[in-house]
Amino acid sequence: MSITELPKALADQSKVPSSTETKSSSTTNACRMCMPLGACLAYVGFEGTVPFLHGSQGCATYIRRYLISHFSEPMDIASSSVGEAATVFGGEENLRVGVANVSRVYKPLMIGLASTCLTETIGEDVPGMITRIKDPETGLRAETGQATPELVFAPTPSFAGTHADGYHAAVTAVVKELAEVGEETESVNLFPGIVSTADLRHLSEIVAGYGLPHALIPDYSERLDGVTVARYEKLPGGGTTATAVAGAGHALASITLGGMVTPGVDLAGEVLQEQFGVEHLRMPLPIGIRLVDTFTDRLTELSGQPMPHWLDAERGRLVDAYIDGHKYAADRTAIVYGDEDLVVGVTAFLSEIGIKTLLVASGGRSGQLTTEIAKLTPARAADIEVLDDGDFHEIEARAAELKPDLLIGHSKGYATSRRLGIPLIRVGLPIHDRVGAQRLRHLGYRGTQDLFDRVINTLIQVRQDESAVGYAYM
Amino acid sequence: MRKVAIYGKGGIGKSTTTQNTVAGLAEMGRKVMVVGCDPKADSTRLLLGGLAQRSVLDTLRIEGEDVELEDVLAKGFSDTNCVESGGPEPGVGCAGRGIITSINLLERLGAYEEELDYVFYDVLGDVVCGGFAMPIREGKAEEIYIVASGEMMAMYAASNICKGIKKFATNGTVRLGGIICNSRKVDNEYELLDAFAKQLGTQMIHFVPRDNDVQRAEIHKKTVIEWDPTCNQADEYRTLAKAIEDNDMFVIPKPMETEALESLLLEHGMLDVA
Repeated sequence: MSITELPKALADQSKVPSSTETKSSSTTNACRMCMPLGACLAYVGFEGTVPFLHGSQGCATYIRRYLISHFSEPMDIASSSVGEAATVFGGEENLRVGVANVSRVYKPLMIGLASTCLTETIGEDVPGMITRIKDPETGLRAETGQATPELVFAPTPSFAGTHADGYHAAVTAVVKELAEVGEETESVNLFPGIVSTADLRHLSEIVAGYGLPHALIPDYSERLDGVTVARYEKLPGGGTTATAVAGAGHALASITLGGMVTPGVDLAGEVLQEQFGVEHLRMPLPIGIRLVDTFTDRLTELSGQPMPHWLDAERGRLVDAYIDGHKYAADRTAIVYGDEDLVVGVTAFLSEIGIKTLLVASGGRSGQLTTEIAKLTPARAADIEVLDDGDFHEIEARAAELKPDLLIGHSKGYATSRRLGIPLIRVGLPIHDRVGAQRLRHLGYRGTQDLFDRVINTLIQVRQDESAVGYAYM
Repeated sequence: MRKVAIYGKGGIGKSTTTQNTVAGLAEMGRKVMVVGCDPKADSTRLLLGGLAQRSVLDTLRIEGEDVELEDVLAKGFSDTNCVESGGPEPGVGCAGRGIITSINLLERLGAYEEELDYVFYDVLGDVVCGGFAMPIREGKAEEIYIVASGEMMAMYAASNICKGIKKFATNGTVRLGGIICNSRKVDNEYELLDAFAKQLGTQMIHFVPRDNDVQRAEIHKKTVIEWDPTCNQADEYRTLAKAIEDNDMFVIPKPMETEALESLLLEHGMLDVA
């Protein structure tokens, strides 16, 4: 299969209207997180990087609290601690002192800066501040005598985007700063998007299975799913190296998984294509046999290698599992909510196993969700309700009406699940009410297998619990 | 205590008019405080004979929260109290937030507790954002005077300011007290401004003629009344001060749309220059 024949599953962003019409003037229990949260998550996926928010302290606190609870790992996020005086006079001094402190205390290779709603509202010129910090005559090095780490900046006003946008804005900022031209290599850039640490490791394993050298950009699988060490490390190891990002500028090709962002946010893969001529392909998150096949076909094409035996065996076992479980899944219904990239993949997967998705909901604002769902589930598209830029107030109202058998999404849907008595299958980010969120697999045949077992077992359990007899044999 | 705010297009002469009027009120024996709400902090230099006191925000930045009223309040001509909010350097930070911070701090420090007959807020330009509306929110200033001239843009700005006043007037105590014409010697200026004020539902409270004595006094860092109490312009400001003292016409303004403004200008022969 050639590149042009590959299913173009992701909508052409330029042809999609800029944003969806707002249905309500207010948001109640948002189905998205804030833009700097995504940026911080992306930044920890780069080696030796400390995320640094230019804004008031609460932003860093909230994000740390959220991510630590999901990943069960320590996570330091610096803040320029903009208070009342810095708001009025501008926060440049705070940023400068903050960068100096972080450089001294953490000795990072890079500081990943992101703005916040406050500093965006008052119009802080962070790129200008960075230029002045780096100035050889008057910058930090001249002042403190210590080397300044690499400084990158992503503008992340939450009123303009979601955590997914912030994630991609940060990845793109790093790539723009570090990518270099050079002689083309055999390496593949894989932009995984916001996925679990187990998914990151599995993606790497799959690509390596085709003998392809590759860079996962970014890769927080070690930083946010580390081993216990005898001595606390301020800056744990792991993450995509600067060298790997430099090499991204002359790689063989880039693959972006998902990448549904609010119009105006650039994807790193797009930047590499435009500025470095690295061929770029976007495809949905590989969930379900068809979408994993799309991904593995591409890897075959890039490597010239057939699917490795172990992966083929996983595929075969998954097909077998689908057959074994079909009787439990047939005609069951679900509501899927969460990040746009994830709900697209999950909906495509559910359509394969006979579960009818009644509603796909996301707080995302790419404006592509309806088109994507229609492309990936053409037979069912007319029956699937799509809610983008949505919130849990809307999701719960629809769930009460639609009465699905399952809710599939992150832990913020628990209240809805509890009130309506509909079981919740936890996927994605955040998961704040279970352990092991970082170990949950969603991607590849293996991730799909895990997802499949959880879905089917939940359905079985409901039937089992409903029965007055109490069958132990289902 | 009467709480007054002066608004108007940038460069129209708000600070000059405010200080000269305040000098007139002070001369009448009134106890007045002027709060400059402009990051340039030049709203009290004529009363003080130059830039004398440190601004509230500079003091806050340097001393932290531990600020005393005497650090920021200076006595000017005829025992007027002079305060400058101050604000950020051009192009950085948030001047609007600065005004909020500054007025909150002045209240905490008890700047309004003294026996005052008047407090005057001299506010930069237009009601551009929530910060610049601070003086007319929550009953801080209750009567507004807009400085304008017979120039289209000055009137346009005045009408825009009326939109801000109207917004806060409907659930607050702020009212428009009148238009002060600071003459630019435009043809038919008196008639035009008079008609303009009436359309807004208010009055032209005084027509201040153009006079070079204002500039002369400014060069000497003085109000006209202090520089030459006998000159004609000093009497003009006394008249304005008296008009404000005696004013009893406080309205919720009716802002004009651009088209209505243009036809008003046409009517008075101002756009007839094709």
